[in-house]
Amino acid sequence: MTFLKSQLKNNRFLIIVLLAYVAVGIFAPDKFLPSLGNTWYYVKEMLLIMPVILLLTSLISAWVPKETIENAFGQNSGIKGSLFAFLLGSFSAGPIYAAFPVCKMLLSKGASIANIVIILSTWAVIKIPMLITESKFLGPEFMVVRWILTTLAIFLMGYLTSRFVKPEDLPADDEAAATDGPLALNADYCVGCGLCAKIAPNHFKMVGKKASIISQTLSPGDGLTITDAVAKCPARIIRFYN
Amino acid sequence: MDVFTLIFWVITLVWLGFSLKKDKGKTLQAIKMSGGLMKGIAGDILGILLLIGLILTFVPPETIKATIGQANEVVSTVLFALLGSITLIPAFVAFPLVASLVDAGASIVPIVAFLTTLTMVGVVTFPLEKREFGLKFTLIRNSLSFAFALVIALAMGVIL
Repeated sequence: MTFLKSQLKNNRFLIIVLLAYVAVGIFAPDKFLPSLGNTWYYVKEMLLIMPVILLLTSLISAWVPKETIENAFGQNSGIKGSLFAFLLGSFSAGPIYAAFPVCKMLLSKGASIANIVIILSTWAVIKIPMLITESKFLGPEFMVVRWILTTLAIFLMGYLTSRFVKPEDLPADDEAAATDGPLALNADYCVGCGLCAKIAPNHFKMVGKKASIISQTLSPGDGLTITDAVAKCPARIIRFYN
Repeated sequence: MDVFTLIFWVITLVWLGFSLKKDKGKTLQAIKMSGGLMKGIAGDILGILLLIGLILTFVPPETIKATIGQANEVVSTVLFALLGSITLIPAFVAFPLVASLVDAGASIVPIVAFLTTLTMVGVVTFPLEKREFGLKFTLIRNSLSFAFALVIALAMGVIL
């Protein structure tokens, strides 16, 4: 029953649309099949592109050395830092709010305000998997022109924001938030990939679309699996105080 | 399949081959992660695609053309930018939706404004962003993003 409930809650949008279809079937049956036919065309297009996006996102997360890029922020500001910020945003996965904790961590490593804006914006609008989808549905020319214009705008926005906002305007890190054990997790930013629950099933579980901690007890050997889960989390939301 | 999609397929498959050969475990785990991400939005994707089918059947292309076509581009662009700001759907899902509107004859200027604000301006995620980066940063970043979304959209209209 709870499973059904969470499924209903997670797919609220789909259910509303399905109800609309039921209504169409009853009140305008002649429009029912044409609607499905129109949908089918876009489903086919989606199926052509989805496996590529899935694989490419996986390959990027496996092989693009994000740690190297992230570590470079401390020392590099200026053009080089901005370029790294742009690359980091381009090779990411997940919605913009998944970038918040990543950026927060980079700020503590000494990243500049301008570079944080560059990461957030690039992550949001012009990451690689998204460009491929855009090119598929709206044409390569559309994608390239929008990419160029957006890239220019992003660098300009980074510069402008850094003129108005100074580092002391940002709130201090409230890292020491109340935890009653070695593990802490900020579910607000969870993208729901479920990797932590797969790597360390004794400590993490997916509740609905969000990860949650189910155990704070550490047995010998747990440290390694948890550290692995912390490192693999795409939104970097797990904290492990060992 | 068009050439671009084909190129992406080829690049991805070649890369996948190398990746599997070099580190099978790492590759499979990464696929599991993005599979999880994808599964999370699968319901939304299907919902949007079904909605597109309904819209295209019930709203004739002529109406779409008249509403977001030539008729007062500035107003419709600002409206679409606002709509994009308050909506939180994955861009991945938004592309087929806007493509269906463009196919039906909608002008690309409001479409671009919508796409840009959809992902870059977040009214729904504003409280989260404010908590992490403070009010000033969040206000300025979101306002600049909104303004630049309009600029990009208008520039696209001139270029394409």
